Amino acid sequence: MAQSRLEKIGTIFTRVQGLLRGGAMKAEDKPIWYDVYAAFPPKLEPRFDRPASDIPVRNIFYAEDVVRAKLHKQNKPHETISLFDNKRATHSQQFLQIYEQLKSQGALDDQRIYETALDLFAEQRKQTRTDVAEENQLAGDSEPEEPSKSTLLSDFQEAGEQQLQQQQTTPGKEKKESTPAINIQSLFKD
Amino acid sequence: MFRKTFNSLPHFRQLCALPARLQNTQAAQVPTPAEPEDIDVIEQRILKHPDYFQVHNLFTVRDLFNARVHYGHKEGSLDDRMRPYLYGSRLGHLIFDLDKTAAHLRDALNVVAHIAFRDGIILFFNRNALNAHLVEQKAMEAGEFSHTRFWRGGIFTNANVQFHAVTRLPDLCIFLNTQNNVLAQHTAVRDAAKMAIPTVGIVDSNCNPNLITYPVPGNDDSPAAVELYCNLFKEAIWRGKRKRRELLGLPPLDEAQFKASRSRAPKASQS
Repeated sequence: MAQSRLEKIGTIFTRVQGLLRGGAMKAEDKPIWYDVYAAFPPKLEPRFDRPASDIPVRNIFYAEDVVRAKLHKQNKPHETISLFDNKRATHSQQFLQIYEQLKSQGALDDQRIYETALDLFAEQRKQTRTDVAEENQLAGDSEPEEPSKSTLLSDFQEAGEQQLQQQQTTPGKEKKESTPAINIQSLFKD
Repeated sequence: MFRKTFNSLPHFRQLCALPARLQNTQAAQVPTPAEPEDIDVIEQRILKHPDYFQVHNLFTVRDLFNARVHYGHKEGSLDDRMRPYLYGSRLGHLIFDLDKTAAHLRDALNVVAHIAFRDGIILFFNRNALNAHLVEQKAMEAGEFSHTRFWRGGIFTNANVQFHAVTRLPDLCIFLNTQNNVLAQHTAVRDAAKMAIPTVGIVDSNCNPNLITYPVPGNDDSPAAVELYCNLFKEAIWRGKRKRRELLGLPPLDEAQFKASRSRAPKASQS
């Protein structure tokens, strides 16, 4: 049975077709894939010398990338992102949501919107952090949900704020520990 | 032969002008389904159907996205022949157009199923050490073969000498990644083209898709993506095989027997 090992000439289909037509390969020796290829040819012929196309690769940019770039340039990111978690919004996504809301309300110009959004975002973060800290304390869990880089000074400051807020919001709440807005276990944990 | 006589009946009736009630009883004779169709005829017939094995049901574009199939490498390593398959580049990272990937993957799965239906030997290739064991396992579960080690030069081109016996070569090669350890094209791609063996291959953004018969542009490195491809190919192969056994009237194969048993317990105690 004849073969054709010239991979740089034509395609496997054209070569086998040539052998069959020329009688070098008998019809009963036809390969299994021949009819399948004839019925379902590939979208592009698998020729060795198929030329490369000159299509430029376009950049994927969105309108909000401008805002994102500004945010990342000015603020250093300090957040742990899990790429497997699709439900939780990252800081830049949350910031963009606030920005888009302000923009749709529509009165201010870009720079003002940006600054207002920054303030609103900072407030939102503080709010979530206190909520989370309260939850953690009540549950007795020592690890905070958002592990953020912090110094000793910032921890004391945060703890002080939390204490103030808790005294304002829940004066009569019973706690497991006697004093504590400061959770000793989490304070010195890295 | 049977069909010829059935076709000639109307002419006979017209010539002899048979009364109506006799015509009715005679017209009731249609080709009986009890007559077994030859498997070759069936093989030719099902080729006319655009998707006989329903491979389009096997996956959605969202499945491809969740398996991270759309991630290519960086712009610097782009092979120019892969440009038509790209959606774009996000800050230097190339992203595949999953609509095109889905279309190519459906074509490839259809061909795989048809070749498995025709009792073809399928050989899986993967030279990425991270996924080698996974590919070997999935190939075994599909009841087919895999080669994830160093490829000696003459395995296809000099098979009879290397295996010391007349060798039947595979009828389809599936490349889970078309490159070898040193990021050059796997020799088996060229050798399969030489020996007129069709190939299905996952081509990443740094690969050459020209010699692959049915390329599937997509990520070939992430274990999640490779697992998705393996599962899809395995299911397509099984659909082809099950259909063949069904049409031949054979009892269905127990697919669990192909799974590598995890425990060391003897098989008798499991069944």
